[in-house]
Amino acid sequence: MIKRSIATFLKEFKLLKHDRIGVLVLFAMPVLLILIMTLVQNEAYKSLNEAGIPVLFVDRDQDSLSVAIEKGFESSQLCRLTMDDGTLFPTEASVREAVLSGEYLVAVTIPEGATRAIRENIGDIMDAFLEGEEFDPETSMDIVHVPIIVDPIARKSFVMAITFGLREFIGSVKTGVTFKLMGERMQEYLPVQREIQMPTVDFFEFEEKYAIDKEQYQPNAVQHNVPAWAIFAIFFITVPLAASIILERAEGLYIRMRAFPGSYLSKLSGKLVVYIIVAMIQFAMTLMIGKLLLPLMGLPELYIGESGLALFTLALSVSMAAIGYGLLLGTVFNTPPQSSIFGGVSILIMSALGGIWVPVNIMPAVMQDIAAFSPLNWGLSGFYDLFLKEGTFATILPNCIKLLTFFVVCLLVSVFVYQRKRKYQ
Amino acid sequence: MNNSLIISIENLCKHYRNADKNALDGLNLTIVEGEVFGVLGPNGAGKTTLFSILSGILPLTSGKVTIAGLDLKTDLESIKYKLGVVPQEIALYPSLSAEDNLLYIGRMYGMTGEELKEKVDYRIRQFGLTEVKDKPVKTYSGGMKRRVNLLGGILHQPEVLILDEPTEGMDVQSRAVMMEMLRKLNKEEGMTILYTSHYLEQAEIFCDRVAILNHGKQLVVGDPKDLIDRNEDRSSLEELFLELTGTTIVGS
Repeated sequence: MIKRSIATFLKEFKLLKHDRIGVLVLFAMPVLLILIMTLVQNEAYKSLNEAGIPVLFVDRDQDSLSVAIEKGFESSQLCRLTMDDGTLFPTEASVREAVLSGEYLVAVTIPEGATRAIRENIGDIMDAFLEGEEFDPETSMDIVHVPIIVDPIARKSFVMAITFGLREFIGSVKTGVTFKLMGERMQEYLPVQREIQMPTVDFFEFEEKYAIDKEQYQPNAVQHNVPAWAIFAIFFITVPLAASIILERAEGLYIRMRAFPGSYLSKLSGKLVVYIIVAMIQFAMTLMIGKLLLPLMGLPELYIGESGLALFTLALSVSMAAIGYGLLLGTVFNTPPQSSIFGGVSILIMSALGGIWVPVNIMPAVMQDIAAFSPLNWGLSGFYDLFLKEGTFATILPNCIKLLTFFVVCLLVSVFVYQRKRKYQ
Repeated sequence: MNNSLIISIENLCKHYRNADKNALDGLNLTIVEGEVFGVLGPNGAGKTTLFSILSGILPLTSGKVTIAGLDLKTDLESIKYKLGVVPQEIALYPSLSAEDNLLYIGRMYGMTGEELKEKVDYRIRQFGLTEVKDKPVKTYSGGMKRRVNLLGGILHQPEVLILDEPTEGMDVQSRAVMMEMLRKLNKEEGMTILYTSHYLEQAEIFCDRVAILNHGKQLVVGDPKDLIDRNEDRSSLEELFLELTGTTIVGS
């Protein structure tokens, strides 16, 4: 068994050595994938978090309310505000057109007299209270309509963030006006003329902290994309592996291989070992990209945790799971196009379910349940544990066990399918 | 050639799934040690099926096959060490050199170290491939590829060599060289040879005995000369073949 494994290993190694373009593709494609995906997602991340949501603010009010909203949005860093006093965008149609052009995700128009309406409404409420009269809000208040025009592609969460912000800023203006008017009305009953001093700072302070109190643990495009696309690339090795197994079977080579003594697995074990090594080298390269290359491009440096053993074990488990899957595809299917199409699509599905494209926690509940069965998810959540949550060997052990079980199941099913095929020939 | 039995085939049947008829239907053959035995027949006669069963590539449906005293069903792994298989297609890795291909094949038969290297060197010299041994097989001529293909089957010194159309697609000169090599392996190294060929004239000269198959059944078995001499009207194996199968060997 070992002699045959070594024979296949050496043969496969030499085959790869002669196939320089194939090797280049195996190593260059994941590098490109990680670079592009990280840069793209990092820009998207920056545009929404650092630069903010592009918002058009049409201020036809030109009074306290619009000043408060402008100051509020600017200090929240939630959005990148473009101000207009109604000169550039005089009508709702022109505002709508500006949003549809894609320049702004959201446009907010504060109508003329909005601040005055607040003052009058609160004044009326206060007068009714002091004079002991009934106040019917439905008939007595001037309703101010604030049109918020949203780009159809904008996420609901962005729009909610803007409307919540608006409510807060309008609320603070209303409170200020209330206090001011109340102070003015109360002057009539007070012996000394005094004005209520509104605090310029809030007496509530919110402090956001990550559960892990280390700067490098903070999630960013690099911490997500490098392990995610590294796993994706490792699983994609299954496509050339399966094709290579099928090609050997389709040609005269396979007659010779079957004439060799030894079991199916002993004849392929060396090939599997070579591909596992390729997957590990590929993974090491992706880590190097995250550690060395991405920082040179202005991206955060990848933090890989503190347990080298855990990292190695998890990467090896992911590689073995992927190669086991490749063996299964190569055994089940009869032609390279069959295995390539099924393999490629199944890996895309498993990666989508596994949280490679979008985080699992934002998927619907049913999809989250399904995600728990994706080997790519077992790998990714293991890397998250190591890279983001101070995970140790013990933390990632259950994920490794799942991945290795998947590998063993793939081997067993492959042997079973091979024997069935032979028996019924 | 001595008279000890090396291959015994008793009532061998092979039925492929979803096929109407048996690919092999009650075949009975015996082959003695050191013999050159030709299996002839038109396309679909069952030659490749027979070779695939003997090589352990296909399972048999019924019957009994023993090779070197070992039962094919129960002792397949041991039998594989005694068999050399040379497929009709070039069963080599085109991007590897002849030497690398042969080292791989030798290792798969459990050969290692110096013994393997010496054996590979010896065979490469013997088959006139020394100058090209380090070049990728894909750069070789058709005849050279066939020679390396044959080397892959004999490197581990098998007792029985099974060849499926070993001279297919070769020019006359290369064919003669190949047949001379096979003759040497048989005469000098005592390998029993079981082979198929479309070239009946070649089989007539080369084989000690032949079996003619058609539709999975054996029609005749014997020394080609005896088979021809049985009827004065026949002057060649080709005429006998035509008479028995009603077709030329390449047609069906």
